[in-house]
Formats: sequence, C-alpha cells, structure tokens
Amino acid sequence: MNDYGWQDLAVGLGATFEVLITAQMLDDFARLSGDYNPLHMDPAFAQAAGFPGRVVFGLLTASFYSRLVGMYLPGKRALLHGVNAEFKNPAQTGDCLTISGEISYLNEAYRQIEVKARVVNQNGKIISKATLRAGLHEQ
Amino acid sequence: MNNTEIIAELQPIFADILDLPDLRLTAKTTAPEVEGWDSLAHINLVVAIEKHYKVKFALGELQDLKNVGDMADLIIRKLGA
Repeated sequence: MNDYGWQDLAVGLGATFEVLITAQMLDDFARLSGDYNPLHMDPAFAQAAGFPGRVVFGLLTASFYSRLVGMYLPGKRALLHGVNAEFKNPAQTGDCLTISGEISYLNEAYRQIEVKARVVNQNGKIISKATLRAGLHEQ
Repeated sequence: MNNTEIIAELQPIFADILDLPDLRLTAKTTAPEVEGWDSLAHINLVVAIEKHYKVKFALGELQDLKNVGDMADLIIRKLGA
C-alpha cells in the first residue's frame, strides 16, 4: 500500500495494476450486491443475448477504482469523495484487466486530488473510464 | 469584470455541480439556503471555479467568504493579481 502525503503528490503521478477476472468474483459480487441478473450469472442467457459468456458487472470493474485510490493513489490516507464512471465495453470472465490512473488535478485548499482512470482489457479495449476524486486525511 | 458579471458566470457552474438547473444565484446567496450545497459539494464548486478561471484558492481565502458575492469579489481579486 502506498502512503503518499500531500507533498508527495503531483499532476501526472500514476499507478497501474492488473486483475484476472474469475467466475468466483462474479459470484461474490452478486452475493454482496444482491444483483443476480442472469446476464451476469447464466452463461446460456448471456450467450442468447449476444455475449460470449457471463457479462462482468460494470460496478465490479469499477470497484477496482476503489483499490486504485485506496491502495495506490494516494493509498493509506485516501478518502474517496466521488466516482464518475462510464462503461464503454463489457468485460468477460477470464479477462485480464489493467487498471490505471493518473493525477490530473490537485486542489490545495481542501487537499483533494482528481484522478483520470481507466480499465482496459488484454486486447487494449477500454472497459471503463472514470474521473475519481479523493481527499487525504492526516492519519 | 464586475461582481454581477462574475455571478452570472458562476450561475451555470453552480447549477451543474449542485444539479439545480433552476438555481438563481445572487450576491447574498449562502450555502445553507441552497439544497445540496454541503461540504463535499463545496469542494466540487471550488474546484470547478478554479478550473474555469484558472486560479488557485488558499484555504484561508475560502474560509473568509460569507456568500456568493464574496466569492465573486475574491475571483475578481485573483484575476487582477
């Protein structure tokens, strides 16, 4: 986990990590969220709808924005203020997603950072784009 | 630009950030009287204003503001600095 203080942060500072999406993740997300829509849970239903298999929940892919802020940018002192996300393409189980972000703005007065982030699959296709806003607490 | 002109420019910024398309700002408008103008929305407003005018505010400057008219005056000072 990173532990950036305010003085360590600058526009352009970035972070990247990868996540392999498994069927278990979809099962766990369904249990946590209570969203058992068959598009995400039933491969036959998803295929009938025109997808190769179970479609990964958009908010499951967006949950990695939480990791990006809470573990990397800025890490330990983060308090997530907001997420503006768009889901550009569906992800599938077995996809290896790359989550990356870069600080795009620093608000000195309230010590809030803005991060432009994206989730991309192993083929370079954009799954999600987001603008994240996070504060830094002193602890 | 004068105070009235700045407030007219702030109008769509506030309406967008606070999601209040019918909001009408005056120099005397204060946070407690505007729905949704809480502490987090305030940060979002400050960031949007900084980006719009390409200025940076110090915390001390913001803490002295009593209403939208004061914010407009601060922007005028920043633009003239």
